[in-house]
Amino acid sequence: MPRFSRSALLTLLLAVSAVTCFGQSTTGTVSMSATVSKFVEINSGGAVTLTGNSGGGVITDGITNSPLAVSINLGELGPSNTNPFVTALVPLKLRSNAAYVLSMTATVTSSGTTTNRIGAADVGFGLGTINRTGVGVNAGADTNATSGDPTLAANGSVNATSGRYEFTAVRSSLSSFSAATTALSGPFIMNAVPRSNANGLTVPAFFAVKPQFFENGTTTISVTFTVTAP
Amino acid sequence: MRLRLFTFVILLAAAQTVAAQALDISSGGQPTITGAVGGSVTGSANVQNDLVVTINFGEVSPLNTNAVVKVVVPIALRSNQPYQVAVTASAISNANTQALQSSDVGFGLQNLDLLGGAGKVCNQSTHIIRSPFNNDPANTATVGTNGRVSYASSLANISGSTVILSGPELSKNNSAKRQNSDGYSFDAIFVLTPQFFAAGVSSATLVFTISPGPNVPC
Repeated sequence: MPRFSRSALLTLLLAVSAVTCFGQSTTGTVSMSATVSKFVEINSGGAVTLTGNSGGGVITDGITNSPLAVSINLGELGPSNTNPFVTALVPLKLRSNAAYVLSMTATVTSSGTTTNRIGAADVGFGLGTINRTGVGVNAGADTNATSGDPTLAANGSVNATSGRYEFTAVRSSLSSFSAATTALSGPFIMNAVPRSNANGLTVPAFFAVKPQFFENGTTTISVTFTVTAP
Repeated sequence: MRLRLFTFVILLAAAQTVAAQALDISSGGQPTITGAVGGSVTGSANVQNDLVVTINFGEVSPLNTNAVVKVVVPIALRSNQPYQVAVTASAISNANTQALQSSDVGFGLQNLDLLGGAGKVCNQSTHIIRSPFNNDPANTATVGTNGRVSYASSLANISGSTVILSGPELSKNNSAKRQNSDGYSFDAIFVLTPQFFAAGVSSATLVFTISPGPNVPC
C-alpha cells in the first residue's frame, strides 16, 4: 500500500476519533452554592398598654409584625396625677437566625431648667417576661440585662435623703442607656423556617414614671432599640 | 495484508464511534434563575455544548424576601437505544440541622419534549420521569409541622446513583455530531425557599449520566 494512502487513512482515523471525543458525552455537571447571612430583625409585638395616666394616650400604636414606631403621650406627671405610676408597656418582637444582642439608647429632654425637671433617671425601664413559643421558634435561654418591671418594689424606692423617687435596680432607668447598652441577648431565635412564619421572641418593654413634684414643663423621651448579630 | 489491517482498524474506529454516539447528554438551552438576591446561573445556551452549569442561589436567609429562588436547567439527551438518566449528588454537609440541608433544595423534572424534528417519536413505550421527581418543586413546596419548607422531591431523594428518567431511543439519526434537533430535552428544576437557616455557605455538585436503560420497544 502506498505510503500516502496509509497516511491518509491514519488521518481519517484520527479525525473520526476526534469527532467521537468532542461531539458526545455521557455525563454533565451542575454545581450549586448558596449563602445564608446572619439575619436579625425587631418589630412591634402588638398594641401598647398605657396605665395610670391622667390625660395623654397612645398616639401611634404598635401593630404586630410591623416596624416598631410607637408614639405615646404619658399625660400629666405632676402631683395632680394621683396614680402611683404612669406605665407604658410596649411589646417587642425579635427574630434571628443567629445569636443576637438587643441594645437601647435613650434621650430625655425637658423644658425645665432646674434639677427638679424630669430627667433620664426619672423614667423607669425594664424588659418583662421573655416568650419563645410557637412553631419554628428555638427554645433558647435569654439573658435579660435589665431588672424587669421598674414599678416593682424591689426595683425602686423613695430616696430617704432627697425624697425623690429613684429607680435603683440594675439598668432600671433610662439613665443607664445614654449610650447604646445591652438590654437583652440570647441564642438564635428562629429555626429554619420561612420569613412568612410570624412567630418569634416577644418581650414587653416597660417605661414608667412616678408622678412627683417635678418642675413644670414638657418632656420628650426618645428611645431607639437596635438588634444585632455579633 | 497491510491494506486489510488498516481497513480493519478503520472499521473498529467506526464501530467505536457509533457506540459513543448512541448515548449523549448536553446543554438543553439557557439556564434561568428567578427570585435570587445576589445569585446567578451560568451555562451554555447552545444545545451542542456540554452540560456544565454553575448555580449560585445567592442569599437564602430572610434577607431575600422572595418566596423562592428557582433555577431551571434545560438538559438535552440523544440516543439510538433505550436509555436512562441517573444523577449523583455530593451531600450538603452541614452538621447543624438548622443550616441548609439537602432536603431544603427542591429538585424535580418537567417538560420532557422533542428537541426538534430529528428526535424520535416512539409509540410503544413512553419516557418515564421516575418517582418522586416528576414535579416542579416551586409548586409542591409545603410547610411541615415544624415550620420548615419541604418539597415533593429534593436533593435528599438522591442516594448514590439514582435513576431519574428512562425511556426508548431518542434520536432518529446516528450522527456522530450533536445536532440541534436530534433528541429530547427536559428541565431540571431546583428550588430553594429563603428561610431562617443558620448562617454559612453551602455547596453541592450533581452529575447527570446517561447510560443504556431498560430494553423497551420503540
